[in-house]
Amino acid sequence: MLDSRLGIFGLLSDAGPVVLMVLSVLLAFSVISWAIIAYKFGYVRKSSRESKAFMDYFFQVYNVDKAFSESENYRNGSLPRVFRSGYIEYRALGDKSDIRQAKAKIARAIKREVNAENKRLSVLVPFLATVGNTAPFIGLFGTVWGIMNSFHNIGLTQSASLAAVAPGISEALVATAAGLAAAIPAVIGYNYFTQQIGSIERDLEEFSPEFVAAFINEP
Amino acid sequence: MKKGQKLVYTEKKFSFWLAAAAAMHVVVLFLVLYFQIWDSGRHIKPKIVSVSLVSLPGSGGAAMQAGSPGIASPAPVVNKADEEPKPETLPPVVQKKAPVETPKQVAVEPPKKIPAEPVKPKIVEKPQNINTALERLKQNVDKKTAAMPQPSTGVLNKALASLQQKVQSAGKQAGTGNGGSGGLSSSGGRGGGGYGYGGGGNADPYKAQIASIIQQNWAFSKQLLKNSYGMNVYVRINIISDGTIRQIVFDKRAPSEYLNNSVKKALEKSSPLPFPPKGEALRDIWIGFVFTPEGIE
Repeated sequence: MLDSRLGIFGLLSDAGPVVLMVLSVLLAFSVISWAIIAYKFGYVRKSSRESKAFMDYFFQVYNVDKAFSESENYRNGSLPRVFRSGYIEYRALGDKSDIRQAKAKIARAIKREVNAENKRLSVLVPFLATVGNTAPFIGLFGTVWGIMNSFHNIGLTQSASLAAVAPGISEALVATAAGLAAAIPAVIGYNYFTQQIGSIERDLEEFSPEFVAAFINEP
Repeated sequence: MKKGQKLVYTEKKFSFWLAAAAAMHVVVLFLVLYFQIWDSGRHIKPKIVSVSLVSLPGSGGAAMQAGSPGIASPAPVVNKADEEPKPETLPPVVQKKAPVETPKQVAVEPPKKIPAEPVKPKIVEKPQNINTALERLKQNVDKKTAAMPQPSTGVLNKALASLQQKVQSAGKQAGTGNGGSGGLSSSGGRGGGGYGYGGGGNADPYKAQIASIIQQNWAFSKQLLKNSYGMNVYVRINIISDGTIRQIVFDKRAPSEYLNNSVKKALEKSSPLPFPPKGEALRDIWIGFVFTPEGIE
């Protein structure tokens, strides 16, 4: 049988409704944060890996048709996606004699896809920042509330002994601990994804003109 | 249509990770619970000793050496007023020791060399305020003695004669004798050498004898003291009829615990002392000593 007074669970059983609500919110934050971290980790890692592989292939063959057929193997990569959108636009051009206009159209299509890719990459990531920033404060709110109640109870019992003060403060501090436990992975994940997404975005910005030039100069 | 399918796929994927994260949290919570059960079974609760800070003496605690092997836990406070006989005419130094109404801490420790009767010599600490009062009185007396004119030879002779008469009449009874003046002291020390409530001054052959024994048992090196200023230990011992030291009273401790400890050990080592003189054999006697880095006064 589990002891109801055991450790953290014993503290939770004595906590007030506000503290419990705060803890529930923090638990939800933590669950969502971890889900985002796991989901985005796979997504960003795959995108980064496939972009790199496609870039290597593209500069190796420097042929848009071959590159397009190869890009079908890199469905999750950001750079292959951008390339594909440019290629589709290039093939859709009826009159290719006006190079300037064709270049502008392809560049516009690539730019649009770059923006879409940026959005796709950074979706859900701001939630990690929100959790990282707000979870400690939410936990602190629970702690302040718990200590407030604890002191109120001390006043009612008219006993200021350590035995009377310590359990209430201990209960209240669980909220701060939970806030930090939710915030720390979120901040770590946010920093990691920001750095990885920034790297992919720089690649997109850098190689978009290369794609346009490859389409225009295509024999 | 394809975009919608992709979105559904993405949502499904995220939902999977959401469920995985929730499961992970549940697992972590169960692990925490399991760890707490395991940890609570592993730990043995240490014995808790409650100490009320209110009941502790303010300044007396620092002087006691915590790690000293000879010092036991503080014993109940005793009033020394009943134990100390009041001398009729006390010299100024003796008067310094007079205020004994304040309670003193007594530390009871087992005797080392008591073969027959398990009489435990007690170590008594005087409170700090007694020490300060003692210092103040000492300064006053020094000032007075400096200001006072030297007694004439007649007065000294008279005092000498009265003392000799007292000695002759009382034999070797020196229980309430004062410390004796410096002139009478065999060691030629100051008059304060005989401070205490019994046993007389250094002129007392019994006191000289036990001082010699204690001196022999006193393992102390002056070299180990950084500063010898104020290094005086005022101690009086209560000797019962069989020569055993029943109680050791530290009226003034030196700033150096090394000196204090060495004095205590010397006294413990010296117990039992030779039998008191016949006149003193029937009752306890108190003898005071002043331990300085130079020796016993």
